[in-house]
Order: sequence, then C-alpha cells, then structure tokens
Amino acid sequence: MTAVSVRNVSKVFNQGKPNQVDALSNVALDVKQGEFVSLIGPSGCGKSTLLRLVANLLEPTSGEVTVNGKTAAQARLDQDYGMAFQQAGLFDWRTVRKNIELPLELKGWDKQQRSARADEMLQLVQLPEFGDHYPWQLSGGMQQRIAIARALAAHPPLLLMDEPFGALDEMTREYMQGELLRICAATGTTVVFVTHSIPEAVYLSNRVVVMSPRPGRITKVVDVSLGGERNEDTRNRTAFFEAITAVREGLRGMHATHVGLGNDDR
Amino acid sequence: MTSVVRRAVQRSAMFVAALALVAVIWETYKALGPEEGGQLLGIRILPRTSEYAMPHVWDMFSRFGRPEVRGSARTVFDAVLAGAWYSFRLSVAGFVFGAVIGVGLAVLMARFKWVQRGVLPYLVVSQTVPLIALAPLIVSWGGKLEIGAFVWPRWMSVSVLGAFLAFFPIAVGTLRGLAAASAASVELMQSYAASWTKTLFKLRFPTAVPYMVPAFRLGASASVIGVVVAEISTGLRGGIGRLIIEYAREATGDPAKVYTAIFGAAALGLVMAGAVVAVDVVVMRNRPKEAVV
Amino acid sequence: MTIHRLTMLLGKVVPAILFGALFLGVWEWAVMFFELKPYFLTAPSSIWQQFTTNFALIRGAATVSGTNALVGLVAGTVLGVAMSFVLSRFGFLNQLITPLAVALNAIPIFVLVAVLNNMYSITSEIPRRIMVTLVVYFIVLVNVARGLTQVSPTHVELMRSYAASDVAILRKVRIPNAVPFLFTSLKIAAPAAVITAFVSEYFGGSQNGLGSRISSNIANSKNAAAWAYVLAACLLGLLFYTVSVAMESLNRKGGVKQ
Repeated sequence: MTAVSVRNVSKVFNQGKPNQVDALSNVALDVKQGEFVSLIGPSGCGKSTLLRLVANLLEPTSGEVTVNGKTAAQARLDQDYGMAFQQAGLFDWRTVRKNIELPLELKGWDKQQRSARADEMLQLVQLPEFGDHYPWQLSGGMQQRIAIARALAAHPPLLLMDEPFGALDEMTREYMQGELLRICAATGTTVVFVTHSIPEAVYLSNRVVVMSPRPGRITKVVDVSLGGERNEDTRNRTAFFEAITAVREGLRGMHATHVGLGNDDR
Repeated sequence: MTSVVRRAVQRSAMFVAALALVAVIWETYKALGPEEGGQLLGIRILPRTSEYAMPHVWDMFSRFGRPEVRGSARTVFDAVLAGAWYSFRLSVAGFVFGAVIGVGLAVLMARFKWVQRGVLPYLVVSQTVPLIALAPLIVSWGGKLEIGAFVWPRWMSVSVLGAFLAFFPIAVGTLRGLAAASAASVELMQSYAASWTKTLFKLRFPTAVPYMVPAFRLGASASVIGVVVAEISTGLRGGIGRLIIEYAREATGDPAKVYTAIFGAAALGLVMAGAVVAVDVVVMRNRPKEAVV
Repeated sequence: MTIHRLTMLLGKVVPAILFGALFLGVWEWAVMFFELKPYFLTAPSSIWQQFTTNFALIRGAATVSGTNALVGLVAGTVLGVAMSFVLSRFGFLNQLITPLAVALNAIPIFVLVAVLNNMYSITSEIPRRIMVTLVVYFIVLVNVARGLTQVSPTHVELMRSYAASDVAILRKVRIPNAVPFLFTSLKIAAPAAVITAFVSEYFGGSQNGLGSRISSNIANSKNAAAWAYVLAACLLGLLFYTVSVAMESLNRKGGVKQ
C-alpha cells in the first residue's frame, strides 16, 4: 500500500507578482508503507515545501497529494501523520508528559488514556524518568526525543520530519539517528525526512531523493541497500561510502550545471 | 527559591536606604537653605525652608499618630489608611474592568486582521496622548446619568477612568503576546487540525503570558493614576486623592499632614504593583528564566 | 514606488482612516439621533466649532502647559544623562538608584505637586516644571544608564587589548551604545512630560494651563469648550511624541539601523 503519493505537483508562491517563486515544478513521488525516504538538496530546492504539501500545511498550485489513501487535507483532519521540526517546539509551560499528550488532548482522549499513552511513549524514547520535568530542563537531544514521542503519540502511520537533528552536535546526531531507526522499526512507521546531511540521509533511508532548485524538482533517486541491520558499524562499511558517493554525485551534477563552478575535482 | 527571596530583601533594603538618603538631603537643605526661598543662576528656583513650606521629616511621621482634626478620636493614620483602602478598591475595580476589555479587544484584533489594522494605530497613539485630559469629562457623568432606575454612582466614574487608562497598555501588550507564537508552533497546531479557538487557548495565550505580565504592571499603575486624578477632579469623598487636596489646603496651619496623605498614595501604588508582581511570580514559576523585551 | 508597494501601504493605512471616520460619524449621528445633552456627550461638530472659535485662548493655554512640559523635559533629560554618567562610573550606586526608580514607577508621583505648591509662590510655574523634571529624570536615567553599562563584553575586551583608558572606552564604546537608548527614553518621556504637566495643574496654583481650563469649563457646564481643550491637549501630546520620533530617525540616518 502506498503511504504517500505525489502526482504532478507544482507549487508557485506569489503567482503573477514580481517576487514569484517556482518552489516545485511537476514533482512525482511514491512512498511505500514502512519505507524511510529522505529528501536532500541545496537551499531553495523545495524539500521543505514538498514536506509541507504532504502535511497539508500548504496547498499545491496544481497536482495531487494522497496520504494514506485519502486527500492530504483529510489525512490532516484525521491526524494520520505526526510532525517534527528542527526546533523541538515543545511548549515551555507544559511538563514533558503534558507535551506528549497535546495531540491526544486535541483528539479528545480522556485523562487515563492520555496518561497511559504518554508513559508508553516515554518508554519508547527511553526517557521514563523525565515525565514531570519541563522542556528547558532537558538537553537538545532529549528535547528532540520528546518531540518524536509527541509526533508518534497518536500512533500515526506516517512521520514527517524537517531537519529535526540540525541543531544538535555531531555525536548526539549520530546517536539520535540510531534511536530514530530503532523507534521506527518498533512501530513500523513510514518516514519522510528532510535533511542537509548526506551521511545522515544515507544512514537512515531506504531511498534518498535528490532535489535541485530553480525550479524545485527531483533530479535523482538513489536506492540505498546497506545489507542487513543498520548500527554503528554500518558507517564503516563500503556500501555506506558508495551510497554517499552516489548521492553526492547526484547533488554535484546539478550543482555544477546550474552554478557553473567547475570545481568537480575536490 | 532562596536566591529570589534574598534578592528581593536586598532590593527592599536598598530602597529603604535610598529613601533615607533622600531624607538626609531634605534635612540638610532645610538646615542650610534660605528661609524665603532664593535664586539659583537668576531663576527663582530654590524652595522655601520655613516650617510651613518644609516640615521636618520626623514631624511627617509623627503626624500619623496624632488626631486628624483637633478633638477628633480618629488619628491621621486611620484616616489615611481608610482613604488609601478606598482608592485601592476603586483601582482594583478599574484594573479588572480595563483588563477584561483590553484582553477581549486583543483577542478580537488577533482573530480579525481588519479590526487590528483599523484599531491598533489608535491604541498605540493613545499611549502618547494625555488621556488624563478626559478625566473631568468622564467624571462629570457621575451623578447626572440615569438609565431607568439605575443612577450612575460617582465612584464608578472614578473606576471607569482607571479602567480607561489601564485598558490601552493591556490591549497592546496582550496583542503582542498573542502574535508571538513561533511559526513552527502554529504549524504544529495546524498539523493537528486544531481550530482557531483551541489554538488560542493551548498555544497563543500561554505564549502571551510573558508579554501580558509587563502590560498588566503598566495597567495597574495606570489604573491607580486614573483613580487618583479622577478623585481629585470630582472631589470624590473617601479616597486618598481627596485627602491630599484637603490636607494641602490645611497646610498653612498643619504643614506635616499633607505629607502623610502623600505617603498613603505612595503605599497605594506600591501595594498595587506588589500584587501584580506576586501574581507574575506565581504564573511564571515554571518557566525558564529569560527576559522578554 | 511600485504599484505593489503602494497598494501594501494603502492597505495598512486605509482601514485606520476608515475606522476613525466611522467612529466620528457614529458619534455625530448618535448625539443627533438620541438628542444627547452636552453634559453627557458633545457632538464632534460642536467640539470643532468651539476649537476654532476659541483658538487664540486655547493656544495660549497650550503654550503655558507646553512650556512647562518642555522645560521639564529638557531639564530632566540633561540631569538624567549627567547622573547616568555618574552611575556608570560608580557602579554600586546602581544598586541604590534602580530599586528607587522601579518603586517610583508604581507610585502616582505627581501628588508631590501638592507639597511643591506650598514651597513656592502661588503664581509660580516652577512646581509643575520640577514635577515634570523629576518624572523625565528617572525615565532618562534608567534607560541611558542601561545603555552605558550594557555594552557588548566583546567590545570592551577589544578596547582593553588596545590598552585603552576608561575614558576612551566611554567615548568610543559606551556613549555610542547609549545614544539609541537616549532616543528610546525620549519617546517615552515626551508624552509623560505632557501628561505630568497637565495632571499637576489639578492641584491648584496658577490656572493658566490646559488642565485647569478643562476643569473650570466642566465646572461651568461648558462641556463643548472643555472637549475643545481636550483636543488641544491630545494634539500637544502628539506633537511632543512626533518630535521625539523625528529626532530618533534623524539620529538613525547617521548610524547603524537598530
């Protein structure tokens, strides 16, 4: 079953005005159930825009977005996805537990159900003792784990992430990547993940979608098969480096063409 | 928690020290300055230092203990306390009323952009204009306005002026706060398909609280100012404003008395501010310690 | 200016103008329709008529109040700036002054006029000017002192690496940092000066200013005239504020955009 289907989607901002932007032009993408797909590309390639179209936070200028077999709008109303951003975006005035319960409150769950689910999510992200802390008492990495817990609280089939680890240092980042894979394996969630980092995209994904700007479009899709389970060792394997090279070439190819630098022998 | 208490104690001690310094300067000038006032650089700027014009600091304090009027059983302290308490209640009423209207208008402006564009410029400008000039006008409604069986009591005009002055800073500050939610948080709520009202109560209001607190502080002191000025304009009996005017008129015979009323007004302002700060501390107790400009 | 930017500008200004016009219109109509007596609500048209008829008198009263406000504003600013230099040099004084300034903010300080009036002759405008000076002084002091002391530690470190003296640091780092604070404080102090000048007039003493005129007109049930003086008061306050904003933007032209 296709979790996400994007057909002939274009998105134009400020149509007809002097500051018109062709954020996305004729983009097509299918994401299978349980797949982990990354979107990567330079600034302005439309990856965040594409994510927001799937989330129905934006409407496409033309084309269709289908999520979980429904229109994107209906999927949002049914809360069929969870979302995580670069800033964890936890509410300062709520405890960690209450932050996780936020989507459940909006869905009308009663107190007991919410509490039970919050406990479950805290266990899942391995922070059970921090339920009654406040977000500002936690480190950046811990806050992101809570943001992920919140995103998955209602057990949505789809997880949308916009550079969630961008603000973290490299060591925490690698640890979080491992955690994310573990959580997704446990829950079977489909993930669409936007990132700037090539190693991160390769480590996490089944497929890496390379995008380019002006106008925003998909230039290459790299299948990543790293053979077997992914763990700390994976980053040392040849298959890992080969996949990185493939993605880099995808990015460079379009980079040299459009910017005309010619510094390909770096 | 102890560091907060320690800092508060330190601040209060410094405040008292500053007051003591002012008292010392007062007495020094009184001892050294010209009896009938004088000139400095050609301008008649030096005040008189006679007993009538500048009583001793200790006389001001001792005046509290003695009777208000010769032969009366009530001490000045009782009179001033009663006056300050009366004005305090009017200030609180004005503040609450102004806060309700102010927050209500802010929500309306946050919801409907065209209301905001139409009204906000006037709200901002109103803070530069002496609204206090309207005091005598609003106050003149008192006693003359009748709606059916309801006669507008005089004290209500006084509270209304307090509300009128408090309303503007509260409305502007609350609107700023309601608009302060981060774009990512708003997107989050959208991703939950939350209605505007739900977003208001679960996101915008909590985000607005750090902005509403200084706005409420301004509103509280504005309410006190409005009430005191209105009392003076009307001559409303019972309040501290009226006491100040009365005692000032008696200053020829009883120079220290007016100072007692002034101290009463100062206490009124401090208690009002203190109440708002106390609420502020309670409401913000679980928040990270960052300053909101 | 492109059409696009022009429409954006109009979009911001037109609703406010429309709202103001609507407000005045409804006001005028309500007075007419409900046949409201002047002591309750006066129609904008009568107010305007009174304003133009009595313009010479109004201008006279405005000049008195305005002069008081201006004198106090200038004196308070000068004293405030001077004292802020002292505070920046002797940091410990800050501990003393700040709690005092914070407390004074909460108090209806203008009641001091009642005693100031006793210290001077009955026709003197000095008590009001002293009151305005006091109010402006604390506003300017707190803000400019902040500007002189809250400088970027990086900048100070840089100057020390050049073995710069304290005076040099003052001139080259602290004062430029404090200038925007000065203009911000003026934007607050200017309207405050006008308001204080008025309110001081309610306590007796010379009866030549706008505040006293408003009260006496109300006492004589001449409400339309009173409103005309209120209008003048608002215009005076607006004038002071506009000038302070203009001064700020003049300053900005030379320096870094804040």
